[in-house]
Amino acid sequence: MPEIIELIFSDLSAQFLSPRKRLFVGYLACAFCIAVLWVCVVNRTSLKTAIAMIFAPAIWLSRSSLFDVICFLINRLLFSLLRPVLLTQITVATLVYQLLHLQVLMPIGALEHVNYWIAAATFTVFYFIFDDFSRFGVHYLMHRVPALWEFHKFHHSAETLTPLTVTRTHPIEGLMFLIRTAAVQGLTIALFVGLFGSKVDLITIYGVSIFGLIFHSLGSNLRHSHIAIRYPAALEQIFISPAQHQLHHSRDPRHYDRNFGVVLSIWDQLLGSFHPSTDEEISYGLGPAEAGFTKSVWSMYWLPFVASFRRLTRFRPRPPKGFERLR
Amino acid sequence: MSKLTILAGFVLVGLMSTSAMADGHGNHVYGPFPVTLKGYSGDKTNSVSYSGQVGRQLLHNSLKKAIGKNAGLDTINSYFNGSDEELPILDPVSSEKFMVDHSNVNDISKTNLSGKAYKGDISGWPGGMSGKEVLASMIARSSEVDGGYDATHGYDYAQLVSKFAMGGIFYHQACDNYLDEKLEANNKPNNKPYKDGAYYTGKEHSWDEAFGYWGAAAHGATLSPEQNYNIAKKKDMVSADANSDGVVNLKSEMNYAHAYYASAFDKGGKTKYYKTITQAFIDGRQVIADAKGEALSDAERNTIMGKARVICSNWEKVIAEAVFKYAGSVYGDLEKLKGGGDAKAYRKYVKHWGELKGFALSLHTSHQNLGELGRKIDGLIKFGPVVGGVSPSQISMNTRRVDGVDEAGNFTFQDASVDEYMLYMLRLQKLMEDEFGVVAKNNDKLAGISNLAEKLGSGESVEND
Repeated sequence: MPEIIELIFSDLSAQFLSPRKRLFVGYLACAFCIAVLWVCVVNRTSLKTAIAMIFAPAIWLSRSSLFDVICFLINRLLFSLLRPVLLTQITVATLVYQLLHLQVLMPIGALEHVNYWIAAATFTVFYFIFDDFSRFGVHYLMHRVPALWEFHKFHHSAETLTPLTVTRTHPIEGLMFLIRTAAVQGLTIALFVGLFGSKVDLITIYGVSIFGLIFHSLGSNLRHSHIAIRYPAALEQIFISPAQHQLHHSRDPRHYDRNFGVVLSIWDQLLGSFHPSTDEEISYGLGPAEAGFTKSVWSMYWLPFVASFRRLTRFRPRPPKGFERLR
Repeated sequence: MSKLTILAGFVLVGLMSTSAMADGHGNHVYGPFPVTLKGYSGDKTNSVSYSGQVGRQLLHNSLKKAIGKNAGLDTINSYFNGSDEELPILDPVSSEKFMVDHSNVNDISKTNLSGKAYKGDISGWPGGMSGKEVLASMIARSSEVDGGYDATHGYDYAQLVSKFAMGGIFYHQACDNYLDEKLEANNKPNNKPYKDGAYYTGKEHSWDEAFGYWGAAAHGATLSPEQNYNIAKKKDMVSADANSDGVVNLKSEMNYAHAYYASAFDKGGKTKYYKTITQAFIDGRQVIADAKGEALSDAERNTIMGKARVICSNWEKVIAEAVFKYAGSVYGDLEKLKGGGDAKAYRKYVKHWGELKGFALSLHTSHQNLGELGRKIDGLIKFGPVVGGVSPSQISMNTRRVDGVDEAGNFTFQDASVDEYMLYMLRLQKLMEDEFGVVAKNNDKLAGISNLAEKLGSGESVEND
């Protein structure tokens, strides 16, 4: 038993103390500074007012935020225990790297003599783009495939957004994210080690991918917050602003299925789901028809299985309520 | 302080030191151990004896040299089968930097290698032969080519014979015989001499023989991996000469065979094979010595059997590490040859393959049948390396490999793919990691993947972007 407690404690502390994690205290501090600056400059408020606004009790102490905390703890416990049996990127990479030996189109080590920095920069940029695209793709499917949406509702049931909402994820959805990560990392690693050999490297700062560090330092945690930071229109065509992601969480049907991207908004433009940020007041959550979903933490975890099963088996004794998001 | 307290203190210290000795923590040198045989009235004071094994270590070293220097089949065979004639030690030979105390194998022990070779089937070598027959066949073929190097079939017989002899004789004898059946209660009991007229008991000598096959210097556990490695490489006379008599005593101050390989892996800092195995030998021998010539109790026998398990499982790992390392070397060699290597690169490739094959065949010779795992290992390495088109002298030919022998005893070929074989080497490395738990992992061809995976993070993030 003490080993399990130790395991969970080390996992929890890593979530806030490791620069590789989104909730790293350093990134949260950056987000706070950016939020203060934004509120003071854009809303022309005093520092004191800005801080009061950022830490509004109505947001941080809401029922939804409390559920975020509970779900965070449950998920960390669950995934700490599941860790030994989860698919890893090393497994995927090893398998793919071995398979590369059986094809002739891309000879192993074909670019082995390329300069270290060129190889590392190519790998780092490719991974960033591929990873961002795959996140977009999975997110797109979570919304567009009815059986998956039932699980993704877990995340969209948040009625107030805080940085912890990023971890408000149904375990089935979490498993899909893990498989995505393993597949994307594994494929990229195998491809690049196959092309450039063992010298291929990831460009890092303090042990973190340079793009990850920039993204998180520039306030990625504000995507799930009530601070609607908007970028100039031209910039929002390339990068998704926090306000654009907040619009993605809007319960207004006009905003449904918009802005699936994480860092880049070009994928949304290509797939027609792009929506610029607005200065409208946005309400979050699933809407009154889905009130039963967040009746309890148990219902949040259990109902997606039931609804998804019905979707898959087409066993629908009566028209379900609250699926108005589905196209 | 009362007398009682002082007395209790002495008793406590005495008990603690006795316990430490029993655990072996107080002793890091293999011998001397007292003569414990009941009724012995001779003048011997040290019961340790493994000169026969040291003789075989020297026969093995010399056999490899003899093949490499075209010594002729009769001479080569004399190192395999033993000889009544003088048998000069070809390695190590005394030099100014590294003086050794003997120059003739028979002065240490008149012995042979062939009589102790593995008699079970070796399916990983063409011809369907026993381990002993495989070695004899390799030796015979080695004398037909210059320096034991057969470029056509991709065989380096000096390496094949040496690496397989280490396993098929030394490892096999130690772990399939002396540390296995000879540890049974009624086999070579401790309350009887090993054989009539011996001054050591059955268990004492069984244990010593296994230690001799391991090949570590008696004081090796007191040295660093670098020191032990340099002793085997004949570069560190000072560390070798434990008794400071100005020469290296080949019986007790030299490192041989797998003990040398263990020190080579330990140098990387990730493993402690040499010390773990050698200390287990010392601790086990202490338990036997402490029995003072009585038959070992069940508890004592369980203790030494536990030590034997430590020895043999780590010994197996040393061999698996070597398979891992040379699989990586062969992979790297093929990468170079694909890009247009020269004769030197091809020679290196054949050498590495010989080492790989010799070590891999050795894994089959312990007390346990590898079963499916053994078939997997053989299936990946095959009977021969990919030759033909990868050799500068045969560049116009298709790539191929030996797949058997015909009735006349000539090797036969089958087509083979270089890329596929490189893949097999990767799978072999993975197999050694998964099944044997290798840690040192020299020449890890999947290291690039592990390094990048580590840098990208473990992928445990279940965040919802």
